Amino acid sequence: MNKTTKTILWLVLLVILVFYPKIFGVYYTNVFVTFAVFAVYAVALNVLLGFTGLLSFGHAMFFGAGGYGTALALKHIEGLALLPAIGIGFLSATVLAMILCPLVVRVSGTAFAMMHLAFGQLLYVLALKLRGITGGEDGIGNFPIPPFSIPGLISIPMKGAPENFYYLAMVILGVSLWLMWFFTKTPFGQIQVGLRDNAKRIDYLGYKVPQSKAVIYVISGAFAGVAGSVYGLFHNLVSADGSLGILVSFAPITAAMIGGIGSFFGPILGTAVFQIIEEVTIRFTDRVELVMGVILIMVIMFAPRGIVGFITTMKQRWQSPSAAGAKKEKTS
Amino acid sequence: MDPTTSMYVAQGIHGIAYGMILFLIASGLNIIFGMMGILNMAHASFFMLAGYFCYQVIAITGSFWAALFLAPVFGAGAGILMERIFLRKLHAFGHLGELILTVGIGQVILAFVKIFWGTESLPVQVPPILEGMVNFGGLEYPIYRLFVIGLALVVLVFMSLLLYKTRLGKIVRAAVSDRDMVNALGINIPVVFMFVFGIGTWLAGVAGVAIAPILTVFPGLADQVGMDAFIVVVTGGFGSLAGSFIVAIIFGLLSSYGVQFLSQLAPVLMVAFMAIVLAIRPNGLMGVEEK
Repeated sequence: MNKTTKTILWLVLLVILVFYPKIFGVYYTNVFVTFAVFAVYAVALNVLLGFTGLLSFGHAMFFGAGGYGTALALKHIEGLALLPAIGIGFLSATVLAMILCPLVVRVSGTAFAMMHLAFGQLLYVLALKLRGITGGEDGIGNFPIPPFSIPGLISIPMKGAPENFYYLAMVILGVSLWLMWFFTKTPFGQIQVGLRDNAKRIDYLGYKVPQSKAVIYVISGAFAGVAGSVYGLFHNLVSADGSLGILVSFAPITAAMIGGIGSFFGPILGTAVFQIIEEVTIRFTDRVELVMGVILIMVIMFAPRGIVGFITTMKQRWQSPSAAGAKKEKTS
Repeated sequence: MDPTTSMYVAQGIHGIAYGMILFLIASGLNIIFGMMGILNMAHASFFMLAGYFCYQVIAITGSFWAALFLAPVFGAGAGILMERIFLRKLHAFGHLGELILTVGIGQVILAFVKIFWGTESLPVQVPPILEGMVNFGGLEYPIYRLFVIGLALVVLVFMSLLLYKTRLGKIVRAAVSDRDMVNALGINIPVVFMFVFGIGTWLAGVAGVAIAPILTVFPGLADQVGMDAFIVVVTGGFGSLAGSFIVAIIFGLLSSYGVQFLSQLAPVLMVAFMAIVLAIRPNGLMGVEEK
């Protein structure tokens, strides 16, 4: 693909995104916002999982920290504007990641995953039990959502206006995605692939391994926080099960796996597939978990490197059958 | 004994009984992980499945003893099938694939359980000999929980004899430390794997039958108890049965005394304990560092 085609494709995508709510109506607009939130969340996790090779079993704690941060700020601070509220969500996830990173950067592999399980569960149980602050099982609901305003210029109401919220969410999530994309392309972002493949060599090259890991970790946590914050605003509710539960931690892992963890856009594709399957199966049957389980099994059995990996393999096989064969031997 | 002391003792035995059940599940999970490196997220689902098998066997034969024998065997059969059909083909693609696969299998088991047995809780009757209370020194205690402790101890002794006194146990322990070398010595590792997976799910099955009369059988069982058992393995250290045992008992006691003294914060105690242990020793209480 040359540069012009790419630009045209991006423009087409932009136009579709702009007119999406007009074409598909309120219901599908809301579905799309949910998809976008989880896509950003999955990409943030994938920065850690796919690029750096660190599996976090408790990423929901950053998602939840973002949500609770925004919700608590809006509930307790009078007249807080919208963007600062999201900023507080972003900051609370960042601070949480900064508190945790001295502990977690020492380890990798299973120990890293398990430690996140521990802290994630700890926050989940605390959110359930500290009723005075978090509202327990009910969560924090019906907090005021201020209009998006630039003083003296405009003020766009957000509450009860799904279309306006759609545009806001698209801008914030789009910028987050772009920042993460940019980050993986910087020289520093390239180090993380080295950390995944051969941490010792990165050490010998003179980079500081724990510190680099810490920075990547904080970035991954912070953007998960942005996703959580937008999610909380979208539902006007932040609850322990909806934002901190173990299923919220698993969702982006499975989405990243289904889409393909090696690539930046894989998790987005995976999230889309999940969203579509959920939308379709709910119409026909209550047995969503059966369909989900079967799909997980099928994908892992027949396309272990996710949809993106599957497409790449197919492409290679199409272009040169012998090269694909050689590649296959190498990976197995 | 005065009432207060006897209450403390009763809570203590409650805690030990729950700890023993946790240990039964956790040991199966631990053996599978220690030897095969598979983090079996579907383990708790097999535990629940065995609870349902127990209910079904009792409904057909009317005998709890038959259920105690048959249900874990059926559970182990299901586990072996899963290992043979799915997991074996996946080994080349690393831990993450196995993780997702077992999550998927757990979902499918949950769906099947809901289809066959519905979503309500099913009660399981214990035989008359295990019903009622036993009285020692003024302390009234349900016999069934003592039976559970005894059962777990018997299984524990049986397992340690199997692991430490037989040739098979020697092979299994050798395969834990160096799988390739054992394979090179002419031992059929895939068959040993299948056997280990069977034993692991069998242990989960025994726990499932043991807990069925206490908690009844319902589709949320896997999440409720399975998470606790998983936390036990993580905190005790992967691959260390002794670590699992110590942590299981500590967790059992924490949860029973915790409910008594700080009923609100009892679950926090357990996860806080896990978080502190892992913050100091990332590989668990008695875990060894990964190579």
